[in-house]
Amino acid sequence: MLSYILRRIVATLPVMAIVALFVFSLLYIAPGDPAVVIAGDQASPEDVERIRQSLGLDRPFLVQFGSWVWRILHGDLGTSIFTNLPVSAMIAQRLGPTLSLMIVTLLLTVVVAVPLGVVAAWKAGSLIDRVIMGFAVFGFSLPVFVVGYMLAYIFALELEWLPVQGYTPLSSGFWPWLENLILPAIALGCVYIALVARITRAAMLEVLQQDYIRTAKAKGLGQGGILFIHALKNAAVPIVTVIGIGIALLIGGAVVTESVFAIPGLGRLTIDAILRRDYPVIQGIVLLFSFVYVLVNLMIDVVYTLVDPRIRY
Amino acid sequence: MDRRTVLKGLAGAGSLALTGGLSAPAIAQGAAARTLRFVPQANLANFDPIWGTQYVVRNAAAMVWDTLYGIDAQLQPQRQMVESEEVTDDGTTWTFKLRPGLKFHDGEPVLSKDVVASLTRWSARDPMGLMIKALQQELTAVDDRTFKWVLKQPFPKMLYALAKNNSPCGFIMPERIAQTDPFKQITDYVGSGPMKFAKGEWVPGAKAVFEKFADYVPRQEKSSWLAGGKQMQLDRIEWIVMPDPATAAAALQNGEVDWWENPIADLVPVLKKNKNISVDIGDPLGNIGSFRMNHLFAPFNDVRARRAVLMALSQEDYMRAIVGDDTALWKPLPGFFTPDTPLYTEVGGEILKGKRDFDAAKKLLAESGYSGQPVTCLVAQDQPITKAMGDVTADLLKKLGMNVDFVATDWGTVGSRRAQKTPPGQGGWNMFHTWHAGADCINPAPYTAIRANGDKAWFGWPNSPGTEKEVASWFEAKNLDEEKAAIGRLNKAALDDVVYAPTGFFLSYTAWRKNVSGITKGPLPFFWGVSKSA
Repeated sequence: MLSYILRRIVATLPVMAIVALFVFSLLYIAPGDPAVVIAGDQASPEDVERIRQSLGLDRPFLVQFGSWVWRILHGDLGTSIFTNLPVSAMIAQRLGPTLSLMIVTLLLTVVVAVPLGVVAAWKAGSLIDRVIMGFAVFGFSLPVFVVGYMLAYIFALELEWLPVQGYTPLSSGFWPWLENLILPAIALGCVYIALVARITRAAMLEVLQQDYIRTAKAKGLGQGGILFIHALKNAAVPIVTVIGIGIALLIGGAVVTESVFAIPGLGRLTIDAILRRDYPVIQGIVLLFSFVYVLVNLMIDVVYTLVDPRIRY
Repeated sequence: MDRRTVLKGLAGAGSLALTGGLSAPAIAQGAAARTLRFVPQANLANFDPIWGTQYVVRNAAAMVWDTLYGIDAQLQPQRQMVESEEVTDDGTTWTFKLRPGLKFHDGEPVLSKDVVASLTRWSARDPMGLMIKALQQELTAVDDRTFKWVLKQPFPKMLYALAKNNSPCGFIMPERIAQTDPFKQITDYVGSGPMKFAKGEWVPGAKAVFEKFADYVPRQEKSSWLAGGKQMQLDRIEWIVMPDPATAAAALQNGEVDWWENPIADLVPVLKKNKNISVDIGDPLGNIGSFRMNHLFAPFNDVRARRAVLMALSQEDYMRAIVGDDTALWKPLPGFFTPDTPLYTEVGGEILKGKRDFDAAKKLLAESGYSGQPVTCLVAQDQPITKAMGDVTADLLKKLGMNVDFVATDWGTVGSRRAQKTPPGQGGWNMFHTWHAGADCINPAPYTAIRANGDKAWFGWPNSPGTEKEVASWFEAKNLDEEKAAIGRLNKAALDDVVYAPTGFFLSYTAWRKNVSGITKGPLPFFWGVSKSA
């Protein structure tokens, strides 16, 4: 297993290299110019050109790419064109809020979606099943920002239970940290809960028709034991897979959620960087996201071996 | 149903609930009364007001760095860091003396050498600074509090240049910081103004914090815009960046923030209904909408084609597209200069007044030789103002029988593409939309967009010798009457040659909690004199 994990980690290197080349090339050919944004609306073309030169943006593609790769190899993601701060420091500033949001959303999803999917499969065809699946369709259909605004209106403006916006670090206390994340996590989690609940139901339905489940029932095992010990464990592989895939959805959804709830996370940093053409920041974030995604896939593969002993690497 | 409709509806519903008078949640009640939470117009992405000339940077910098002179609400330059000045009879030698007791945030005294270095950096980037630099013989520190600027010929607008609020302003920094290349960003933010920048708390894109500088020595006069006594009533000002207007509206209603610089027009009715919130015009100098035509290529290289567009253009259509039905927020502008300011004029503005004459416009367009070639119209969709104007322009051009190549893109792309002097079919363009702060259009000094010196002019590269002649006349004017006469002639010449197409004058609101007082109208948010009760 250890050698498999090491092999997979080594295999991420060419993936990262291809991502790096792709992102750099894409940004190079994309229209827009950070020097124009920096110089301001009233700047002369000469001013813009001097800023471009001072940023090294007038150099040939290969020279720029080479110096960027060289810095990356030395563990340096570069410096933001706009803030003049190291990209790694900017990412570190924003990592906490995004990570917090993703963790709370993931926990919420697993706690809500898996039981809902199990119950829906158990009561397949009944009113309960239809209600749960109706909720799933609803969750899929509503855009994150609509859910976000509705939640903010009800729970912040109307009931005054939770704040509208912002983020408080965990170091300031558990409740201050959590209260800022509840609404965003629900808004972001809606689609995800719907997805996982549907997949759980489908996987459980298949497992519940297996002979060993019938045998378990015949032996007089309780319903809870059959569902959550025997059936769920055997249905876990597709569920784990979709949870993993969902992390990519979370990254995308975080961009909108962080804007709606004014959370200073990586999603907002990404949008700001793209709109301003802050190339080093965009490159750093995309590299980070792709690394996280590769890592999550590896973790899923490892989790497979835990939930299904037949899988060996 | 689009996103804008949803947020408007929900914010409206929130307002109805709140007009009943709901108390702020615990998070807001815990905030100190001497801390102001402010939602700025944009993200403070960098903090060098000379290197980056965005308004948001200038607005923050005005708290942190002081200026030698400050413009007041009557648009007159007043002494600020300067105690006195003398100018020789021939107008070529200016001698300035600093006020005693001025200190930087690191406790060091403000000395003439700091001023010399600051002005040197500023004059390398600012349009008026560049004009002074072109005339400069020497800029030297005479002693710790006295410095001298010797010119080869008089520059009557010297004090205005040092006082103006247009970006970049002549902010005074310590010599070691001001010696930074003006095209490179500073990394040290030691200031000379009433507030210190808390660099450690800066999260670009999310938050910036300013703390009161206890050793700041304000002037004794009453404050007026950038002039007078900058008396700080607040200990701490937090700028909280909110990219989503609905979130900002909800946060203001909920008491999570105290002042929102520029609420969008759609949400203003909601805020006005809330009894805890005050709403008023923020900047009386407003903005001037504009679309610029490329004077280098057909069809707009022919003045008849440009005039045809102007003859058919309805400013009301543009203004309603930008600000909606609130008639208090806009007015027609048959000229280029900011209404209700001393140099405002309508001389030569007949072409923009009265009923729009499409038949005459079409005839003039045909005379220009236009024969259906595509007109590349750049429209930034991520800026509500340019998007609204772009839609109106596309409709206008189609009504004139023009073949519109509507390029829907983002502001970053417009910013770089408009600099292309290649033909429209080869990466260039025929027209793009923008707007100018009214504060930049009160006279020709900061008004880059009115210049018409061909290759050296702003994007579109208009070449109008008549306009340039009157710009020079204004700079040489000895008194207000001469200035007014020059501006009248300038307005006419610029309209005759259609330097650009003004689409109207529009204002915007600002909104704050009623426990905040002392907010004044002006071209930027002024924090001195602002206080907050619990």
